[in-house]
Amino acid sequence: MSALASTQPRLGWNRLRLNVTTKQALFGYAILLPTLAIIVIFRFLPMLQAFYISLNEYDLIRPPKFIGLENFIDLLRDPLFLNSARVSVTYVVFSCVPVWILSLGLAVLFNRQIVAKNLFRSAAFMPVVMPAVVNAVVWTFMYHQDGVVNTILGWFDLDPIPWLRSSKWALWAIIIIGIWRATPYYMVIFLAGLQAIPHEYYEAAQIDGASAWRQFRHITLPLLKPTTLLVMVMSVIVAMKVFAVPLIMTGGGPADSTRVLPLFIYQTAFEFFKMGRAAAMSVFLFAAVMVFTLFQIQLFSHGEE
Amino acid sequence: MLSRFFRHRHAFITYPLLFLIGFIGLLPYYWMVSCSFKTNDNMFLVPLQWMPNPINWNAYGDAWRAQDFTRYFLNSSLVAIAITFGNLLLASLAGYSLSKFRYFGRGILFLLILSTMMLPLEVTMVPLFLIVKKLNWPNTYEGLIVPFLVEGFGVFLMRQYLQSIPNELIEAARIDGASELRIYAQIVMPLCKPALAALGVFTFREAWDMYIWPLIIVTKDSLRTLPLGISLFMSSFGTAWDQLMAVAAIGTLPMILLFFFLQRSFIQGIAITGLKE
Repeated sequence: MSALASTQPRLGWNRLRLNVTTKQALFGYAILLPTLAIIVIFRFLPMLQAFYISLNEYDLIRPPKFIGLENFIDLLRDPLFLNSARVSVTYVVFSCVPVWILSLGLAVLFNRQIVAKNLFRSAAFMPVVMPAVVNAVVWTFMYHQDGVVNTILGWFDLDPIPWLRSSKWALWAIIIIGIWRATPYYMVIFLAGLQAIPHEYYEAAQIDGASAWRQFRHITLPLLKPTTLLVMVMSVIVAMKVFAVPLIMTGGGPADSTRVLPLFIYQTAFEFFKMGRAAAMSVFLFAAVMVFTLFQIQLFSHGEE
Repeated sequence: MLSRFFRHRHAFITYPLLFLIGFIGLLPYYWMVSCSFKTNDNMFLVPLQWMPNPINWNAYGDAWRAQDFTRYFLNSSLVAIAITFGNLLLASLAGYSLSKFRYFGRGILFLLILSTMMLPLEVTMVPLFLIVKKLNWPNTYEGLIVPFLVEGFGVFLMRQYLQSIPNELIEAARIDGASELRIYAQIVMPLCKPALAALGVFTFREAWDMYIWPLIIVTKDSLRTLPLGISLFMSSFGTAWDQLMAVAAIGTLPMILLFFFLQRSFIQGIAITGLKE
């Protein structure tokens, strides 16, 4: 009797629970669905399709023709592509390394007690606020032969530089802009990392009489390692994507000296309508992004004891 | 105040350094705005003119009349606002689903979304263009907006944030008989305000900045966004530097306003891109 009484409601309860969990699961699926649809259609499929298109010759007019790896073989023999890859690598290396050092330096600086800290920090942060296209337009103006950059060089008795008109200097002009714009961005990320380090560590070090440099070297740097890894990966990937600034400022010139890979992909696809070839280039770019990410993660996890 | 200033051991290095950093950070802004008020004859004087004299008030009006910048501005605003709201809604729904509901395949679906997070648009732009072309979306607002309505990063962020919200809160509301949608809208979302604000400002900034995609799919003047309009103006402006700087200043204004009024969220929006673990 008592057994019956206790099983009866429990059966009902179980059935109800099952319904509730199914209902909840369905709701879970339903609210994920729009996101899933957009990500799959506009991100995931294109990623797979990029590989497939790279095996074809396709000019948007005639139907795609399968040609195997020909695009890749052609690219590796194409001096323009090899030049573009070299330009991209130069840009990435020489814009990222200074950004890491400067952004960490700024973060350490702004993590101290400073009068009017917010004001200075906002001023330092302003490059992030400027839209990329505006950035390109304003710097083109500043790099003018008689412009403000050369005027400032003149204060130090330096000769004016023909920034954007010389194949020797144009890439450096663009690298400087990259550094200017990226540094405060990563400064913010480093600052967040610094603020997460407990104060007690520094207090203990001070009691032991550790110098500021030793504190930085033995407390700050090791504890900032995850942040540093992230900044390195992010900044490299962002630098690999640079596009608007070279397109607007130089169009890739003079003499192809600023034709970074994304710009070359864009021009191959949408000015010369060689879709297969452009896709093959983007496969290279994709591989570079992946390799770099994995390589840096490897590097850092290896150093961990 | 002064004693605090001098107590700092390195004050004599620190403050000049800070002024230098501020100068470098602000110089392009100052140059853009001041030159938009210079006359064109005074742009490249030797020595350089640091204050516009005489002041030229016409650049903004002239530039605005030279091209349909009102339209570009409205297009940019529409696209950026739509993308921002789309991201807030879809990323919060997806993040809620992935953090608080149990169902078959949840882990795999999350990985699938994550795998697109580091993927640059430059890698996928050719196939993405072909897809959008097949949908007949070049030169439409759909083409500008729909592919960007949600990003893997936003989903990831909202999922991480929502995991810190106690399940008991949601369970209690269920026991009280609240519907699932109501729990999402009236209990979960209000708790996510800081994350939503940061994600919103971040997304708006990225959307306002968008250049490569509109360049690919927009050829009609009536659909140009502000970045397209500015770069078009630059390729055809001749030597009207004052007007070019005026247009650039207008294009920056919304970002400046966003920064000054939502400074916390603006900076938070960047700091959160550093939370990938």
